[in-house]
This record gives sequence, structure tokens and C-alpha cells, in this order.
Amino acid sequence: METDAINQTPLFLSLAQETRLIIERRSYIRDYPAGYTLLIEGAPAESCYFLLSGEVRAFRMNPLGRAQVLARFKVGEPINIISLLNQNKINRATIETLSPVTVLVLPAVDFNHLLARYPDFSNLILHHLAERLAKMTDLAAELSLYAVRARLARFLIELADLDPTSSGWTQDEIAAHIGTVRDVVGRLLRDFESAGLIQRQRGQIILLDREKLIQQAQE
Amino acid sequence: MIEMSLPSINFSLCNRCGQCVSQCPENALVMTGQGPAFTDPVNCTYCGTCEHLCPTGAIRAPLYVSWRAN
Repeated sequence: METDAINQTPLFLSLAQETRLIIERRSYIRDYPAGYTLLIEGAPAESCYFLLSGEVRAFRMNPLGRAQVLARFKVGEPINIISLLNQNKINRATIETLSPVTVLVLPAVDFNHLLARYPDFSNLILHHLAERLAKMTDLAAELSLYAVRARLARFLIELADLDPTSSGWTQDEIAAHIGTVRDVVGRLLRDFESAGLIQRQRGQIILLDREKLIQQAQE
Repeated sequence: MIEMSLPSINFSLCNRCGQCVSQCPENALVMTGQGPAFTDPVNCTYCGTCEHLCPTGAIRAPLYVSWRAN
């Protein structure tokens, strides 16, 4: 089963046959239900996960329970690489499944072995690390440079443009993603609707006016 | 079909506390032996109050974002 997963996952296509064989020998597959906490922030980083199906999110939470979503991972993406590459080997965020997921689990010792001995694997991880860094830079800029209203407008545009197949976002998840609370998201959505920028139907947010939304997103 | 979308309820997570039923602003939910149920789906406005109140995360009212079709 691991062989099929490795050979059929686009993530691994760039790897040499030998590297794939090592991953196959040293990894195993696990299934988890939706809402399952895969990793806990602050716990020892013990494995790298490659998402074979489903969707997960990474978030940090403050002592009052307010969450900030750091990333949302889709099929093919490696999870927990930053924690494993860090010197203290501590999970940097909590990882929660958003749907039933299947992951390929590669223990830390084997992750390190592959990194040290197989340059194609190192390049693959480096590529994903750079992507992750770029996204975190974007997130830091979003949170520090734009007001909540602009962040929500940018987020809605991004979802509609880039992620139409997303599994859907609750108001709490939107709030956690743009660094605010649910009540503010609800109020801003009502404002946008009153201004004719969006239309809300059950479970649907339909964006009506791109120009005006972009204007909101830049304020 | 979109007009009839309802929040989803995961009965395996539901502890039947009844907060969603008692505080639904539209009285769209009733408690059954299995858990809360929408007996009259038309009453539900998809406001998300039930999702927000649910202490176990059993209720989910996801929003899907798209551009208006031309």
C-alpha cells in the first residue's frame, strides 16, 4: 500500500526510484477522522507527515482560546517539516484534520536519514520549506499592514479566485485565519452585504463587485 | 439545492446538551433521541448560532465563497 501511495503521489514523482524505495521501507500509512488533533503545539516533533488525502490546518492558540490559523495543507504537502528542522524539535503549531485524512508517516530519525543521504529528498523538503516561508511572510504582512476589514476582503477574493474547491470555511475558521474573532467576521459580512459587495445565501457567500472588494482589500 | 443547505450535525460528537435547540433564534431545531434535528429546514437561516454554541464541535456550518456567475 505504501508503494502505491508513494508512486502515485505527485509530491514524490521528482524523487529517484531508490529514494522512493527508502521512503517506502521506513514509512507507514495512517487514517484519521475529521476533527482529529494530529499534532499538539509544544510536544516533541516525532514524525513528518505527507498528506495523501483530505485537508488539515495548522494553528496557534493563546491561553484565552483565541486561535490564529497559520496554514491549511492540501494533498501532497509535507507537514511538520519546520518543527523537525528546528534545533529543539518541538511542534511549532497544533495540526488538526478538517476532513477524514490519510497520511504517510515518516519518523524523525528516517526523515533525518533521508535529508542527510538523499539530495533529491533534501531538495524536495527545501522547496516546500521555501514555500512555507513565503506564505508565513505573506501572513505576517497581512496581519501587520492591513485592517481586519481589508483582511477579510482579501481573504474572500483569494478564496473565490484560487480555492473554489475548498471544503468550506466556518465563521470561526475565517476569524482564526485573518486574526480576529467570529463576531467581527459576522459584522463585517453584514456590512459588505449592505454595501452590495456580497450576497449571502445559506452556506454561500457570493462576491458581487470585484472592483469595490479590491478597493476594500487595499484600505 | 443551495437554498436547502443546512448546518451538518455529527451525532458521534454530540452530547445532547440542547444548547443549539434552546438558543436557535428561529426555533428550527428540536432534540430527538439521536440528537438535534432540523424538523422544518425552511426556518433555518444558516446564521451559525448553533455551530458557535456547540461545545463539542458537532455542528458545522461551512461557507463556500464564489464569484457571481456571469
